[in-house]
Amino acid sequence: MGNVIMADLARIPELLPSIIEMVAKVVFIFTMNMGVFAPLLGWVERKQSALMQDRIGANRADILGITAFGLLHTLTDAIKLLTKEDFIPRGADKPLHYLAPFIAVVPALIAFAVIPFGGQYVLWGHKTNLVIADLDVGILFVFAVASISTYGSVIAGWASNNNWSLLGGIRVGAQMLSYEVAMGLTLVGVFMVYGSLRMTDIGVAQENFFHWGIFLQPLGFILFITCALAENKRTPFDIPEAEAELVAGYFTEYSGLKFAMFWMAEFLEMVTISGVLVALFFGGWQIPFVTHEGLVKFFGFLGSNFAQVAVMVVHVTVFWVKVLGWIFLLMLIRWTLPRFRYDQVMELGWKIILPLALVNIFITGAVMLMVM
Amino acid sequence: MELLIFYGLGLLALFAAAAMIMVRQPVTSALLLILNMFCLSGLYAMLGAHLIAILQLLVYAGAIMVLVLFVIMLLNLREKKGIVSKHQIALQTAGVAVFGVFMAVIAARLHTSQLPNPKAVTASFGTVGAVGRVLFTDYILPFEIASILLLAAIVGAVILAKSKV
Amino acid sequence: MSGTYRKVDRNVTLTLWERLYLPEVIRGVTITTRHFFVNFLSVTKAYFGGKPSDRKIMTIYYPDEKPVLPEAYRGKPVLVLGSDGRGKCVACGLCEVACPPKCISIVGGMREDGTRRPVTYKLNGAVCIFCGLCEEACPEEAIVMSDRYEGLSEYDRKLMVYDKEALLVPEEKLGKRLDYIRRRMFGKWNY
Ligand code: SF4
Ligand code: SF4
Repeated sequence: MGNVIMADLARIPELLPSIIEMVAKVVFIFTMNMGVFAPLLGWVERKQSALMQDRIGANRADILGITAFGLLHTLTDAIKLLTKEDFIPRGADKPLHYLAPFIAVVPALIAFAVIPFGGQYVLWGHKTNLVIADLDVGILFVFAVASISTYGSVIAGWASNNNWSLLGGIRVGAQMLSYEVAMGLTLVGVFMVYGSLRMTDIGVAQENFFHWGIFLQPLGFILFITCALAENKRTPFDIPEAEAELVAGYFTEYSGLKFAMFWMAEFLEMVTISGVLVALFFGGWQIPFVTHEGLVKFFGFLGSNFAQVAVMVVHVTVFWVKVLGWIFLLMLIRWTLPRFRYDQVMELGWKIILPLALVNIFITGAVMLMVM
Repeated sequence: MELLIFYGLGLLALFAAAAMIMVRQPVTSALLLILNMFCLSGLYAMLGAHLIAILQLLVYAGAIMVLVLFVIMLLNLREKKGIVSKHQIALQTAGVAVFGVFMAVIAARLHTSQLPNPKAVTASFGTVGAVGRVLFTDYILPFEIASILLLAAIVGAVILAKSKV
Repeated sequence: MSGTYRKVDRNVTLTLWERLYLPEVIRGVTITTRHFFVNFLSVTKAYFGGKPSDRKIMTIYYPDEKPVLPEAYRGKPVLVLGSDGRGKCVACGLCEVACPPKCISIVGGMREDGTRRPVTYKLNGAVCIFCGLCEEACPEEAIVMSDRYEGLSEYDRKLMVYDKEALLVPEEKLGKRLDYIRRRMFGKWNY
């Protein structure tokens, strides 16, 4: 086995550009998610909901009188959560109580691995593909990971030795299970249209503005966004944490950093959902009516390598701007709609979205047969 | 490198499987089964069967085990302390014995018969397209029969669950 | 009591359009979006020194800014100090009787010129429910509800028993409230 490892080590120099590329991509996505989105979305949520409701929003935390539009509340939140007592209720299952927040947050982080945040570029002779893992199964990976994140909530509910938490956990289980089925089916139409599960293929196919998923799959889009909202467990579908009924649902018994992790998981899931929506329905990194070649030509005066870099920067920026737009919309929906009742959620999932998704598949198939 | 990952995953899978049987707490046991499925999925992925690996995660670890966990939580099974009846001990012994015989037979067969030579897989092996093509051309009949079977099961479940149809 | 009652028609049957749900969702989201952008523009304009637009943000910075309360607000009950420097109360005891939780206790007495006055007037702020019945009962407009809502709680119950000195407030400061109770439609001063 020793020489096998030695052989692997010997290949490092030739693999070096790929390794650098990989590390750079992972670091970029990680800082984007953990460094930018996780802390800032709390602020965005507070301010946005405040303005929607004719309020000002949190703005009291200040350093020497500088409040920075309430941005410092993020800092004070962090300090508060770090210094808070980590409470574990009596009779709780301690190891599982510790494990649950991690199970919740890790899938939310790794789901972004298959979402392309840019196209393919040739930089100094090295082909770069701006997605961490360009898997053939693509979007199925996101589903698989999302289904794993269910365990975080379910176990949290079970391990807390609290009836509210248990009920919350059971509701999470039921809701996730129902909507995963529907979510998978809603996207079948997208796979059929683009003929691939690979997210980069789907992204490339959307170079033509009128081939964006939203135009080819309008019904699929509406169904998918409903399912995605349900998977995110935020307000119209927040029956697992329903404050009015279940205190805080599955994370009732969590405090301090462990609570923060559930909080973060929710926000990261939102980023992931926005990423998937953009990648599948809103052209990914593409700018409407601007082709890749056109952009390269536009930056041609920079020389071939730097032109590619410029195009890359533009594409990545476009992608994140789209994601931000979607986060804004998701927050709007979250602060506009009232919560569904439990039976309504189940009915919507099984009796409306599932049949409609099947209908969507049939229509897509029929149209494709007619066109081709 | 791959060998290392293989041994790591395999050992972890074995450990999870063994621990799953030994642990008393039903929820922990279910979680260990999930861990086992994770390792299995990793092994599939190493064999190049990406679709199977993801489906293992999605369907077994993601959906079916949630259901199992759900049932355990709803029933709220507690540790039962009591004497194991003689009847049960006999059954368990019989079970272990049968399993041992099976394993012995398999091991003997493996030892004597010639294993087919491993072939290098093609680039498209295990991809969604390849699996789908095989499934809908060569194996279309078994596929459809399986789907009808599942449909029958669904209808049966609905009828059983509903008091009034 | 006869057993007749009217059935309220709440008009809960939704039209098909409403039951489609999606259009209504979009309508709701449009409203909240409009609020967001109007407020956003107004806040940004105000930040850069411009005039904020019509829609006002409801929030006030409470300890720094105080809300202007309507005169109908019932704060701490106070005794009116007339412009001649005398309390208006004549120790008739009507407020004592009217007070539902019985938090007022009065010992009456005479001044040298023969007018009546309370010797002691105690109002237990910890018991008062701010109902305003004392104000309503008083024939002399001597006790009224002020707009004071701050600093009414203490760590010691004994500190919350107000005596005459703590209750007397000059008449000028209560002008609005006095006007208000005078023009109240069913106030006894209207008869
Ligand atoms: S406001 Fe009501 S409770 Fe308070 S002193 Fe007057 S009558 Fe009594
Ligand atoms: S009712 Fe008025 S005048 Fe009579 S005791 Fe009370 S405050 Fe004084």
